[in-house]
Amino acid sequence: MLNKLKTLAGAGLLCMAPVIASADPVNVSDFQLAPRIAEKVASGKPLNIMVSYHDVSNEFAPFVKQGVEKADKELNVDARFIGPVGADADGQISEIETLLGDMDGLAISAVSTDALSPLINRVIEAGIPVISYNTDNPDSKRLVFAGQDLVQSGRDAGEQMAKVLDGKGRVMITTIDAAAQWSLDREKGVREALDKVEGIEVVRTLNTGTDPQEIYAAIENAMLSDPGITGILSLECCSTPAAGEWVKRNGQAGKVKVVGFDLLDQTVDLVADDVIQVTIDQAPARQGFEAVNLLVEFLNGKTIDDLDTGVGIYTPENIKEAM
Amino acid sequence: MSESTSIAREEPATSHQRRGQLWSRLVARKELGVFLALVVMCVFLSLATSNFLSSLNLLNVGRQVSLLGIMAVGMTFVLISGEIDLSVGSTYALSGLSSGMLIVMGWGLLPAVAAGLVIGVCIGLVNGVLSTYGRLPSLIATLGMMSIVRGVALLMTGGQPVTVNTRNGAIPEVLDRFEFMGQGYLFGIVPMQLVFFIVIAVIGWLLLSGTAFGFRVFAVGGSAKAARVSGINAERVKLWSFVIMGVLAALAGILSMAFLPSGQAGRTGLGLELDVIAAVVVGGASLSGGVGTVLGTVLGVLIIGVLRNGLVLLGVSPFTQEVMIGLVIIIAVAIDKWSTRSRSA
Repeated sequence: MLNKLKTLAGAGLLCMAPVIASADPVNVSDFQLAPRIAEKVASGKPLNIMVSYHDVSNEFAPFVKQGVEKADKELNVDARFIGPVGADADGQISEIETLLGDMDGLAISAVSTDALSPLINRVIEAGIPVISYNTDNPDSKRLVFAGQDLVQSGRDAGEQMAKVLDGKGRVMITTIDAAAQWSLDREKGVREALDKVEGIEVVRTLNTGTDPQEIYAAIENAMLSDPGITGILSLECCSTPAAGEWVKRNGQAGKVKVVGFDLLDQTVDLVADDVIQVTIDQAPARQGFEAVNLLVEFLNGKTIDDLDTGVGIYTPENIKEAM
Repeated sequence: MSESTSIAREEPATSHQRRGQLWSRLVARKELGVFLALVVMCVFLSLATSNFLSSLNLLNVGRQVSLLGIMAVGMTFVLISGEIDLSVGSTYALSGLSSGMLIVMGWGLLPAVAAGLVIGVCIGLVNGVLSTYGRLPSLIATLGMMSIVRGVALLMTGGQPVTVNTRNGAIPEVLDRFEFMGQGYLFGIVPMQLVFFIVIAVIGWLLLSGTAFGFRVFAVGGSAKAARVSGINAERVKLWSFVIMGVLAALAGILSMAFLPSGQAGRTGLGLELDVIAAVVVGGASLSGGVGTVLGTVLGVLIIGVLRNGLVLLGVSPFTQEVMIGLVIIIAVAIDKWSTRSRSA
């Protein structure tokens, strides 16, 4: 009932972009840079780089912010992490409009690809370089994108699931927002990978909602309705630990395999206990750092291109690295 | 002889009359419409799925609706008193996260839970004071509080998830007892969350239907002016309704934290206020005040819970589920309104 609201309010939904869009490499000499920014670059004064994130209240925001703060220190710039509380497109647009006169570069992870594209184009037309990170706006005039290839990360997750199931089983996909673009992209990748494995059947995609209680209840109901499920593949941060908890509490550890995303505390513990077999990290701190770094390199004359920030695959064998 | 014959002749008539009276009383019950809607849903689901009627599934449904139910009992008081509280999802998050953080900091169970409940009481008091003595519409006052309380939860946690475990610093015995509150089973069968819900529902029912305070809640919700003329302190009654709501939202949040045992300020309880209000309204309460029962609310909560459970058991696509849930809410409220009209006609 309220999932529309909850979707807008967003949780750990990092990405909405399809694949890394194939932008051409770009150099500042091909860009109509605002004179005030050109002067500032020439004078060597610290540049004001704004990094707008689609929901500063979700789990990933602190990690992205860490990356931005690291860039602020190491790259000798004034990097500022901004964005709305709750995935609010109007809030994100208003904030960027307000800060337009102060920014020398903008990195944006947009709440909505459609709603933010016109704004991105306006910022570019004002002579301010814009890149997208984490969530792409491929139809806008943004220069390049830095982030994870979502379909590919879905394929990686699917391949990991096929591996832990030894190529045989019934898999349920879970997501906190089945209609979101990032979820559809990852799901596409997962299904592509699992469709290639003859012995594996994807039985359903479960939309859990975003509230933690709701997520657990949805998984509980689904597992009761189909006791033959032998694998749960979560597409994001937040149904991953819930799936692990359900498996653990119902004595199904080892019988029902879990593959998911991200390194939430609970997920890390459940991987260490071998309740969750694989979790895939999206390196959010690296995304925050690279967002600033690409803009700084661009403004200083270096040619920049799309950047795949990659995946980290964690299993019980290497999870200690994340603890 | 003649006496006994006459008595024998009267007996069937009396029993028939009694049955008639019982039937009329049942039909006259405000909750009949919503009860019928629930029965129809349960019959359908028991025919359409093999798992719905299993004891495991029914206990799951009981547990899954418990936190919503605990909050809905509080919301029943607020709505009947003619007010509304939109801050309950945020209170749920802040209280649960606070208790969780205190346990992680090494506090004992009772002080940590008490602190969470006190936060709920304080939020209820602020909501109540703003909406009565402050003369703000409760819709606005609690809308503001919804944002303030969520913001405080985010500031307090820095947006990071709070996970209650020994690795983060919780004392093992305290953690065990905390987890029992949320994950345990009474007599090894009944989920503790459901036990809390049943106890709260019974207390709420007694308070609303069997005490002078309950009578005053209806009176101020029906007409605050008339209630004042009759010597009822309407502000105080409303204030207490908000406090009851606050403490129950806090309790639900703490139980949620004990169940998972993890939460995140940006996500926990987000949008929950609308679920709670929907459940109470489906249960027959009026948004304009003066009407509602705890029994109706319990039935409304069960309708929402059974529906969610049933749609997943049926394997309905996630997008269709959205449509179905909206439809059932409208149909359940419509049945209630139509049956009320036909009874009063």
